[in-house]
Amino acid sequence: METGRAMSVALALRGIRKTFPGVVAVDGVDLDVRRGEIHALVGENGAGKSTLARIAFGELHADAGSVEAHGTVGLVHQHFELVGRLRVWQNVLLGREPRTGWRIDTRAARARVTHLAQRNGLSIDPDALVEDLPVGMRQRVELLRELERDPAVLLLDEPTAALAPGEIDAFFATIEQLAHNGTAVLVVTHKLNEVMEHAQRVTVMRHGKIVEQTQIARTSAREIAQAMVGGELPAIAQRAATVLAPCLSIRDLRTAGAAGLRGVDLDVRRGEIVGIAGVEGNGQSALADAIAGMITHAGTVAFASPHTTVGIVPQDRAREALVLGWSLVENVAFSRFQNARMHAGPFVNFANARTDAQTIAQRFDVRAATLDVPVATLSGGNQQKIVVGRALVDHPEFLLAYNPTRGIDVGAAALVQSRLVQARNDGAAILLISFELDEILALADRVLVLFNGSIAGAFDGASADRGELGRLMAGGA
Amino acid sequence: MKSLMDRARGARGALGALAIALVLITAAMLVAGASPIDGFAALFAGALGGTHQLGETLVQATALLFPALGIALAFRAGLFNIGAEGQLLVGGLAAGALGANVHLAPALAAVIMLGGGALAGGVWGGIAGWLKARFGANEIIATLMLNFIAASLTGYLVAGPLKSSPAGGPETAPLAHAYWLPVLLPYTRLSIALLIALAIAALLHVVLTRTVFGYELRAIGEAPEAARRAGISLQRMALLALASSGAIAGLGGASIVAGELHRFNTQLSPGYGYTAIAVALVGDLDARWICVAAFAFGILETGGLAMQAVANIPKDAIHVIEGVIVVLLAARRYVAARAAIAS
Ligand SMILES: Nc1ncnc2c1ncn2[C@@H]1O[C@H](COP(=O)(O)OP(=O)(O)OP(=O)(O)O)[C@@H](O)[C@H]1O
Ligand SMILES: [Mg+2]
Repeated sequence: METGRAMSVALALRGIRKTFPGVVAVDGVDLDVRRGEIHALVGENGAGKSTLARIAFGELHADAGSVEAHGTVGLVHQHFELVGRLRVWQNVLLGREPRTGWRIDTRAARARVTHLAQRNGLSIDPDALVEDLPVGMRQRVELLRELERDPAVLLLDEPTAALAPGEIDAFFATIEQLAHNGTAVLVVTHKLNEVMEHAQRVTVMRHGKIVEQTQIARTSAREIAQAMVGGELPAIAQRAATVLAPCLSIRDLRTAGAAGLRGVDLDVRRGEIVGIAGVEGNGQSALADAIAGMITHAGTVAFASPHTTVGIVPQDRAREALVLGWSLVENVAFSRFQNARMHAGPFVNFANARTDAQTIAQRFDVRAATLDVPVATLSGGNQQKIVVGRALVDHPEFLLAYNPTRGIDVGAAALVQSRLVQARNDGAAILLISFELDEILALADRVLVLFNGSIAGAFDGASADRGELGRLMAGGA
Repeated sequence: MKSLMDRARGARGALGALAIALVLITAAMLVAGASPIDGFAALFAGALGGTHQLGETLVQATALLFPALGIALAFRAGLFNIGAEGQLLVGGLAAGALGANVHLAPALAAVIMLGGGALAGGVWGGIAGWLKARFGANEIIATLMLNFIAASLTGYLVAGPLKSSPAGGPETAPLAHAYWLPVLLPYTRLSIALLIALAIAALLHVVLTRTVFGYELRAIGEAPEAARRAGISLQRMALLALASSGAIAGLGGASIVAGELHRFNTQLSPGYGYTAIAVALVGDLDARWICVAAFAFGILETGGLAMQAVANIPKDAIHVIEGVIVVLLAARRYVAARAAIAS
């Protein structure tokens, strides 16, 4: 790759520094992204990756340092910036719609978006309303919007966090094609296998500084992880022997819609983690929403007792779990107001909420300036830790965890996974829906494959075979 | 539990709006060929130059403060209640009708009148809330329609069934002197309604920042999907929010009747319910800033007449300027709300 053309620098960051009240987010960073390279930027949650990307994009002003870009810069945000009330094609082409005279040529616009999506291996309905789309689809819209602009420098902030494995391959094929044609690509990710497979260089940030920068050929995933966390990766907690007891029983569950369920039976017992493996769009959202009581369905969803306590980690933290303008303390109380600890008469019990927020911050290593800053100012991974921590803080008997480690760095992911295993060891029943097969294999006592709204196979966690699972997830009989 | 950042935003919003207002008024004076210095001197002398002027300014501020607080409550729940005008009218009518017909100890009568006004306003707001909860009706349209219905209905009732005397105008019979709300500032029309309004402001602030109800209310405004998943019923909250919002405005209408007009007539409000939208937005939907904003608007209302005499700009110009501010602030808030929902 190191030809003369590929070596030319498309984006040069020099001495970038950015502080927020109480935190130094970026602390003197120099970084070059060259034409034709895929450059990975990794680091712990809160290391300053998103802040750096937003500065390079020109959305944030650095306190010090310079940004020099040759050509236009595009950024795919970690937290999408889409207009919910508009359709997919309208979002992708916003402000650049093809026109006939003074009218928007909707046919041409749709065709352009469909073509763009196909060419990049991202299938999507151009007429869907963005506010109706699940996270993975929104991610695609955001991506298509930037691809449409054909930037010279493309910054991708965790673009694959909400994509399924199959889509990730297609996505990187697209990115590699772009890089081949001379685009400079900087990709922020927590998935080190992506870094190893697709990037040429990697930069590791910790506490706002660059701690390592190297060619991929000269390093390994393990070395990168060590540089990120500054030591060895923590191991996941051991599974202990548990006494199984019935908790959740689902029979012939059916829901409407193309991505609905077509007769699902499953049981989750206390003391076990049941993993739902599958590609997004095969009924996971319907399953989670039916259990949460958010959609109508046929069939039964029954808990062992009407008093079974339930904790939920929904799939979209920003939209379904948090009030971004509220502080950590307020968000820890929110969704638990019925809990006797969270109120004193009509008043919110801020003292208890603060205690719980402290517990969560400590148990899940949440990095925030204080417990009173709005959660919007936290890095994405740290927001996610709060959502998981809150779901577990009351020791629920049943936990529904939908991609619980989405956006969380490798070190913290091991911590979060350990907390799930500990909850299981303490007798919780856990239903884990995850698009990461590795996560399911690492945590689940039993694995069910969800395909096209039905359970396509059931395995013992220990004996589940990756190849067999993959085949069933893809619809193989 | 507002963060420092939010507070700065609140102050900036209010001060920014005030600055725009001053610039626009100055420009209007220059266009009219008057000296802005003389104009502003007249404005402030007219509003604050003496006991009488101050009392009148505070009367106006009070009349705006009630509906503005109600509007803020609904807006914080993400509900654009523009029905305060109608809620004010039905509240005033209820108070006037009750006051003219009950025979009770004065203190009790006052409570009945104010309570009846709040109840009527609450029902009026509640109808909009019910339409929204039950049929998903747009609350902007529902509350606006209810304003027209309230105007026609109160007009009809005082012209007919509730008319004071066959020879009288369209108004209810006058209240017995003993039923009048006590005067706060001697030799002015300012009654203790001001204190009631300030108490409601304090209460609203505490409810919004300290109570579960307040948090649930703000949650449906700021993050409806997360609120729904937290087990908060959007329908129930919409109904409660619009009903309480209407109750506060209705109480305002009743306090005008009991404290100032001492009877209900159809001229009760020169559009307080609409101006109050501006007051609520300038006050950044924060009860504390809304008190400040109501006072500032009271000054404009009262001083405007004096300014008209000296600086040659019609008082209506002030209303136009208020309108411009509302549109600017409402647009800003609407855009911010939409952006938040989209992301
Ligand atoms: N608007 C803001 N106000 C205050 N602090 C902020 C703001 N944005 C980011 N921060 C802080 O800056 C630090 C870096 O955040 P950033 O989002 O860049 O992290 P990140 O490396 O992208 O993490 P993640 O992997 O979790 O996405 C964090 O401590 C975060 O809390
Ligand atoms: Mg980030």
